[in-house]
Amino acid sequence: MSGLVHGAQYAVMIVSSLLAVIAIGIWFERKFAGRMQSRLGPTIVGPVGLLQPLADVVKLLQKEDIVPKDADRALFDLAPLLAVLFSLGAAAVVPFSPTAVAADLDIGVLFILAIGALMVIPTFAAGWASNNKFALLGGMRAVAQSVSYAVPLVLVVMVPVILSGSMRVSEIVTFQSEHHWFAVWPIIPGLPAFALFFIAMLAESNRIPFDIPEAESELVAGITTEYTGAKFVLFYMAEYVHTLVGSAVGAALFLGGWDGPFKPGLHWMVLKTLLLFTAVYWVRWTLLRFRSDQLMDLCWKRLVPIAVGLVFLAAAWVQFVPGAR
Amino acid sequence: MSASIGFGFVAACAVLSALFVVRVKNLVHAALWLGVTLIATAGLYAMLDASFLAGVQVLLYVGGVSVLMIFGVMITRKHDGLVVEAESTSGPRGVFAAVGLFAVLATSIVMTPELDGAVAVETVTARHLGRSLLVDHVLAFEVVSLLLLIAIIGAVVLARRRDHGVERKELPAPRREEVSS
Repeated sequence: MSGLVHGAQYAVMIVSSLLAVIAIGIWFERKFAGRMQSRLGPTIVGPVGLLQPLADVVKLLQKEDIVPKDADRALFDLAPLLAVLFSLGAAAVVPFSPTAVAADLDIGVLFILAIGALMVIPTFAAGWASNNKFALLGGMRAVAQSVSYAVPLVLVVMVPVILSGSMRVSEIVTFQSEHHWFAVWPIIPGLPAFALFFIAMLAESNRIPFDIPEAESELVAGITTEYTGAKFVLFYMAEYVHTLVGSAVGAALFLGGWDGPFKPGLHWMVLKTLLLFTAVYWVRWTLLRFRSDQLMDLCWKRLVPIAVGLVFLAAAWVQFVPGAR
Repeated sequence: MSASIGFGFVAACAVLSALFVVRVKNLVHAALWLGVTLIATAGLYAMLDASFLAGVQVLLYVGGVSVLMIFGVMITRKHDGLVVEAESTSGPRGVFAAVGLFAVLATSIVMTPELDGAVAVETVTARHLGRSLLVDHVLAFEVVSLLLLIAIIGAVVLARRRDHGVERKELPAPRREEVSS
């Protein structure tokens, strides 16, 4: 029973801090994007536009909730909720400090991958249930994309697992704090694995340059074409949460989690997560969108073979380098 | 006590959603219900301390197989709007097979004498599984993976052979009525 209470406490804590980060994150992204495009970003609402996210949320929640006439009503309503639920799920096993973890599962890494694989379902359901050609095309693309990119993601995530010899995320972090961060040493396969993880994470959370499921210039808004008001907010939030949780996973698996100079602890984990989160937006406002076929080319012809090679190298490192584990 | 309540809930989810899988008229809904069944089954595994199996079940069956089925339905079936009709013509036979299988399983479970007492079973961790698959039974493991590889290559060859001889221009024009909005 105490496990339930513990889980509930952490769930409330994680969800509320994620929401706070997302609110600031929206403001930050708009400012950041503005600066990158030589404009100011939001300036009107509140000091330096800080209250802009609040205004955005109020505006979106006021909007009429429109459901297309021939939509699949149950699925249409369920999809945004499931999207938020599944994107939050992985946060349960990520340790933010040696003590702050909701459920330090024995199969932590596998759990993260499994929950990530579930994200396909709400995305597809939204595209299907909207009964809209653009939404359906967006849904199909999203499924093809995340199923493909799950392959290199699973493979590169195996690199820290092999190097540390555990699937429990907290043990992987502890191993890194006792040896080196995996993104630093062993530099091969550690650093390329981290880079591949970052690319696959961008693709899994449908961020530019991998946002072809949305692709506003060709598909209107992809799967969210028919969504309005609160349900649209939920999709928007799910995307942010997915990126944020993905950044936290990357920070824990490759950047040493809570480990850091001076005083290890929660603040290092938060800092690393936010840095990765910022990097996502940096990429987002720098690059253009890939075409569907370029996306598949990149995944199957480049990333998958490299990822397989990295897994081999990691195994060889553990096997042949004395004191590697 | 709380364990049996949890078991009842998860088992009920599994059975009810499985029932929906075979009774629902819309094939896409059926495929999504199958996802629920598979998640509930993973829940049962997790309750039996087989957490690795539960994770793999969700990753491969829910994230892979059920999505593949949805794709299969969408690509192979002609559908008008959102309804992809499921034509079930073998209801009585299905009921007969299900009841028969249940009878066989139930009798074999009841007849097994060792199930009376509570037996302490060692939890199988991912470490145990890895050791047993890649050290103790490595030959069988590799044979199976080779078999799967052959199956994949075979599938690709079969799929490509059908493409041969069909020139691009001979492909029929895309159907207009595929999705009516």
